[in-house]
Amino acid sequence: MNKILQLLIVDDEPLARALTREYLAKHTDINIIGEAANGLAAVEAINKLAPDLILLDIFMPKLNGLEVLELTGRSSGVIFTTAYDQYALKAFDLHAVDYLLKPFSQARFDDAIARARKLLDVPPVNIPELIADTKLERIVVRDRGQIHIVPLSEVDYVEAQDDYISIHWNGKAILKTQSLSSLEAQLDEQEFVRIHRSVIVKLSAVKYLERISKDAQVAVLHSGVKLPVSRAGYERLKVFVSQL
Amino acid sequence: MHPILSRPHRLLWYVLAWIIAGILLAWALVAVHSVVWHSALFFALPTVLLYGFILTSSYYVCLSLPIRQRTAVRVVAVFGSASLLISVLWVMLCIFWSNIIGDATGHPGNVLLDRHLTILLFVAAVLAYLVSLLAHDVFIAFENIRSAERQQIASQLQARDAELQMLRSQINPHFLFNSLNSISALTSINAAAARDMAIELGSFYRKTLALSEQTQISLGEEVELCQYFLAIEKIRFGEKLQVSWAIDPATLTAQVPAMFMQPLIENAIKHGICNLSDGGVVQIKSVVENGWLHIAISNPVEPESPSAIGTATGLKNFKARIHNLYPEKSRISWYKAHNNFYLDMIIPFEPAVAGSRNE
Repeated sequence: MNKILQLLIVDDEPLARALTREYLAKHTDINIIGEAANGLAAVEAINKLAPDLILLDIFMPKLNGLEVLELTGRSSGVIFTTAYDQYALKAFDLHAVDYLLKPFSQARFDDAIARARKLLDVPPVNIPELIADTKLERIVVRDRGQIHIVPLSEVDYVEAQDDYISIHWNGKAILKTQSLSSLEAQLDEQEFVRIHRSVIVKLSAVKYLERISKDAQVAVLHSGVKLPVSRAGYERLKVFVSQL
Repeated sequence: MHPILSRPHRLLWYVLAWIIAGILLAWALVAVHSVVWHSALFFALPTVLLYGFILTSSYYVCLSLPIRQRTAVRVVAVFGSASLLISVLWVMLCIFWSNIIGDATGHPGNVLLDRHLTILLFVAAVLAYLVSLLAHDVFIAFENIRSAERQQIASQLQARDAELQMLRSQINPHFLFNSLNSISALTSINAAAARDMAIELGSFYRKTLALSEQTQISLGEEVELCQYFLAIEKIRFGEKLQVSWAIDPATLTAQVPAMFMQPLIENAIKHGICNLSDGGVVQIKSVVENGWLHIAISNPVEPESPSAIGTATGLKNFKARIHNLYPEKSRISWYKAHNNFYLDMIIPFEPAVAGSRNE
């Protein structure tokens, strides 16, 4: 007899959840411990219930499936479900992450469950890689139990501070546990430039560059903030200087 | 800005041409009036060059009288008086200048210009001004044609973009596959509802295909399309999605572009209702007022959500498409207030002529 798996269903459509429940009915070794109808509820449920397996819809209100995983640090026991998302599917194939395309059959569903069960004890690497590889549209931050969503369009710059990064947007700042390099990899290099070992700036936030000594420059932002520019950073900026 | 004065290389050629004209006038003075060369050059070069610059003013005279506002009388009055006035002033300057030269070279009195030559200069000045007016007119006409062509190309590109956008939204794979998934779920829960949904989905796609062949449809048809769409969305989202219609019957005959309201309603569901745990009501209104068709769509949004309007790219594309169809005759605006999202749209009210669709 298999170990009883605790499973969480995450989908914003009640009918889609009902279908999953129906498909699970014959899996007597799986126990549905909860359902979530949006990304925020999913984060809460994952933290509270610590399910063995999650059936996770990608396109959801509030937070999408990948953001849920990033915020919970969840890296295994996940089967994605989606109706249509070309870009996500390409990434899933690349990182060998399992997914179900809606509408899916009972047989396809059973396969996915069986595969997920086998992989439960294997140390997971593919989901963290998948997340690191995903281009961001917004940054999600969990701060003392609260979840903040920072749209990239409002971010001015990001600064490294010890083990954290400090994200500055709209005159506000928030800390996130992440390395500056991993964030840099998720940002559009046409829009964000690493101007210093510890600073990434959004090009459109820069007003002008100011030379303060023979080989030291600072970038002055529209908000008045001055940021250091290293020599390597200046080389990277130079490509865009005509736009400044 | 003047087409010659604003471009350095054109200006150079222009100045060069007038210097040559000045030299020719000086040569004529030397040949006909046996004036000494240096006096002749000293007189002719500055005056002719100055007139060259005065001629550029005709560009603004042409601009002040757009082709559409022209009548024969007005053209003769404006162009004639401008030419005469400018020429009189210039000839007076010439006389003044020749007197100064006369004084300086020790030949008091007007040795350079006799009466004949003065009249000749005046006539030449008037003619030159008229020719300049004509040349500028031709130039302006060419510019207008060129900018009209550019505008046409730009709007064609935009129209093609809009068409592609529309095709994509017609097929909308996300909507299609999610709906099929709902039908698949319903088969065991409520077979009759599954059948209904399959029929609604069929009707929606059939209607979209039929409408996509027409550029203009009646608001009544668009409302029907939206109702099929909403029937499906209601099955998918259940009690969360409520819709309140307030369509003024007088607006049903209004001619509107196909897919005129459906993307807005989809937007209201995706960025509004979807994010609310308890859902809410999408309100859709239409009225006619003084020859304008007003459409207002509103929906509740999550108070704290920064992405409530999304990145608004969808709305911006929609706005560009409508502006392209009704240049300077449409207005689309949206705002968020009291946890609601409001969108207002105004286009000209053009009722369909009865029976015109069968022609």
